[in-house]
Amino acid sequence: MFRFQSLDEDCMLEEEDDGLIEDEDEIDQFNDDTFGAGAIDDDWQEEHKRLAELDERDGLGAGLGFGGGGMGGDSDLSTSERPSSTRIPSVVHPPPPSSLASLSFSSSSSGLPPSDVEDRVGEGDLAESLARLILDADPAIAGVGAAERPGLSPGSSGSGLSALRGLDQPRVLPQPSPIPPPTQPHQHPQHQLPPGLPASGLPPSSMLSYQQQQHLLRRGTAPMGQMSSHSIWENSMGFGPVSVAPGLVTHMEGNPLMSIIKEVGHPKRAPQGRNDEDLSERAPPPRSSSPVIGSPPVRAVPIGTPPKQPMSHALNHQIHHPTAVHVRAPVQHRYPAPFPERLSPNTLLNIANSPLCRGPFPPRVGPVLSQIQRAQLLNSQVAGFPRGGPPPLLPGGGGFRPFFGGPPPPHGHRMGPPPPHGPPNHAPPIRHNTTHLHPQHRRMLTQRMQSRGGDRRPGMDRRSRDPYSNLMTQKEKEWVTKIQMMQLQSTDPYLDDYYYQNYYEKMEKRQEKERDSSKKEHTTKLITPQVAKVEHTYRPVQFAGSLGKLTVSSVNNPRKMIDAVVTTRSDDEEKREKQVWNKRRQILYTVEKMYSLLLEVQDFEKRFVQAPEEDRESLLEQHKSNTEQLCSSLREKEWDDRVSDEQCVMIMSVRKGKRLISRLLPFLPSTQAAAVVMAIARNLPALAKKDKQDQVLCWLVEPVSAVIQSLSSASLTDLLQELQGSEGQLATVLHNKFGVTLLYVILSEGERMQSSDPNCQLMDDNRWTELVFSVTRELLSVPSSSLSPPLFTPPNLLSLFSRYVDRQRLELLQDKLQISALSR
Amino acid sequence: MNYVPGTASLIDDIDKKHLVLLRDGRTLIGYLRSIDQFANLVFHQTVERIHVGKKFGDIPRGIFIVRGENVVLLGEIDMDKPCDTVLQQVSIEEILEEQRLQQQAKQETEKVKMQVLKDRGLSIPKADNLDEY
Repeated sequence: MFRFQSLDEDCMLEEEDDGLIEDEDEIDQFNDDTFGAGAIDDDWQEEHKRLAELDERDGLGAGLGFGGGGMGGDSDLSTSERPSSTRIPSVVHPPPPSSLASLSFSSSSSGLPPSDVEDRVGEGDLAESLARLILDADPAIAGVGAAERPGLSPGSSGSGLSALRGLDQPRVLPQPSPIPPPTQPHQHPQHQLPPGLPASGLPPSSMLSYQQQQHLLRRGTAPMGQMSSHSIWENSMGFGPVSVAPGLVTHMEGNPLMSIIKEVGHPKRAPQGRNDEDLSERAPPPRSSSPVIGSPPVRAVPIGTPPKQPMSHALNHQIHHPTAVHVRAPVQHRYPAPFPERLSPNTLLNIANSPLCRGPFPPRVGPVLSQIQRAQLLNSQVAGFPRGGPPPLLPGGGGFRPFFGGPPPPHGHRMGPPPPHGPPNHAPPIRHNTTHLHPQHRRMLTQRMQSRGGDRRPGMDRRSRDPYSNLMTQKEKEWVTKIQMMQLQSTDPYLDDYYYQNYYEKMEKRQEKERDSSKKEHTTKLITPQVAKVEHTYRPVQFAGSLGKLTVSSVNNPRKMIDAVVTTRSDDEEKREKQVWNKRRQILYTVEKMYSLLLEVQDFEKRFVQAPEEDRESLLEQHKSNTEQLCSSLREKEWDDRVSDEQCVMIMSVRKGKRLISRLLPFLPSTQAAAVVMAIARNLPALAKKDKQDQVLCWLVEPVSAVIQSLSSASLTDLLQELQGSEGQLATVLHNKFGVTLLYVILSEGERMQSSDPNCQLMDDNRWTELVFSVTRELLSVPSSSLSPPLFTPPNLLSLFSRYVDRQRLELLQDKLQISALSR
Repeated sequence: MNYVPGTASLIDDIDKKHLVLLRDGRTLIGYLRSIDQFANLVFHQTVERIHVGKKFGDIPRGIFIVRGENVVLLGEIDMDKPCDTVLQQVSIEEILEEQRLQQQAKQETEKVKMQVLKDRGLSIPKADNLDEY
């Protein structure tokens, strides 16, 4: 309510300021005390009269404006950066009409009868102005005043005024009125009032408070401290970090009332002022500005937890003054998990360590030794002095830790069994959490540790004499360890720790083989602890009782800062380029997807063996679906049964795709595999060209040969035909290593078929023969240099060729291809 | 091994003398006092060791805090092992001078090489020492 008018009337105020500016030069803002030690009694009255006259000149509008401006001034003072000093004169010496205007403004009732204002013109009385000040400043009182106004006779001056005047006059001279200065601090917190307090709360309380205040003013200041102004003081004084402008502060300094304010009004501030620093850095040894996130927390709290606040404190603040400044949530009931499927380090450690690590430790002094304690320890116990001569004790300046050498903290992390005459302060060995390790591994570790135990002694002596040792406390070490252990948690060890698992599996198998049945000892199976995949839904912290949805933006709940909108430019050339890019991306994407399926398929066996009985069914099903999916991905979109040439070629155009195909072939059903091989053969020139740089095609040899060996004669012939398909294809094929190898494999297979199976249908139609003829022709005609050496030469080629070609040619072939009867 | 058995951790390296090689090529030797989860290191009584040829020089640096990402390698110095190196320690001024000369020589050769390549119409882009992105 106040605000609206103030916004409108703001400009008016500025006009007034101009009028006042000339006076400002004369007024020394910082030393301009109205009351108190620094005050000059006479001046202010006259000055005020002067100013009042000035304001009268400005007239009604100004008065009105100022009334609102009085309010607006409040908000202005607090929000804007204008020096408060400029406000002071204007506030301290308001023109008479304004306050009444403000009275009416503050009330929810409508209408400001200008006549009232004019009635009061001329009553330029400082007392009145001061009274108005109160009314201006404190909306509570102002509201009351307005409410009361209709009750009074219109003829006389306003109730508030008269009452106050009555009050003021006896009061002003003997005692400085308690009223005015408080208003100044009132103004500042006032702006916080509207957002915080519900509007409805104001009028009734303000009425009360006003009456109370009147009472008090009449009866004395003593009670004031207590009652009243519970609401008055609290409402205005208790708000957040009250930003009292420096000018005002000094202005008020001389005021005896300030003492009262300090008594009554400020106590709320004190605890709050401590709030920020206190809670975030509540470390017994005050570290120099270590942020909560980066440094080990004093209380072991998982990472990402919003820092807590003591409930009572928070409640207080919440009820009375929900500040927007400190956004710390009073979350005490649970810690939001930093990662959805992992345990917090706390719980992890608790679970994992409790049975093991509680061990035979001497009871500790405390989690963290304070600096003083450490220094004491050092003083009392250090015998020798450090070698090398660093200064023994520096006064801990600026957060530096004092040096403490001497005994390590009771949790000394000396490893190994305690040596018989070790240093006097040696702690018993720590038993570590090794549950997650393979038992073999565990055994190895302990062995290693024991062997190292003997070596420790000289080092330990040295370390015990080092005054700078153990700068990192046990707690901190544990904290870092906690984080590291947390990173090791895994829901799927096969995925996350593949090589470790495999290694130990192989070792197990080896051991089993070695032992056979001689020893009854069974090799222990590795059962890695798996974290349950519990879905932790992180709900961002929100405040109860706050208006609107204030949310804390934290690590787990980041706030959206930028609203990025993607706009695509349509340019013809760009489009084409993009299309190419997109296509490539699509291929890569397909390859990736296929790979993940393939990996699952390949791992199936292992998993199957490991899985318990119940899960095997589902695993099997999953396996089937995976393979199915893989097959379908190679197929054409329209015809569901044929392998898509295009798709295959596309996949093979990417290096990774070729590898994929080579790994995939064994898992495909034979027809599909055959089709794939056909496709390869058909498109070999293109593939060969693309492969020039990478030479990856050769990986395909093995799986392809496996496929070929399972082919029927007809399909073999087909394959050979495909290989020779177009004009000059064979030549290209021969250029390429893979091509040559493939050719040889085909021929060798054919030969094998012929030689092994007399009923072979290979010779039934002439195709095979013709094809072989053409191959031989090509082989002979192709210059030796362009003939690429194959990966391997099947042994039966010679016999193959001997069937089809005459002696002369055979010899030539032999030379060229360097095949002999014994060639491998 | 101590605190996180089965894995590697720097916890056991605390309060021991270490040698660390940084990404910018500097070599620091000091007592490792504190670590954190990013392997940020706090070194005490640090000494920067500059090697030029067979000579080396130590510059005392005091306390160093190294950001974890800048560490190339870190190794414990075995105090017990007899130190029998062919390296010869020289004074700081001398080693800095040597270093300067070395850098100069390197620059000269680089310059000559670039010129030669330029004459032939070739240009090899210079890879910076630091792996900046």
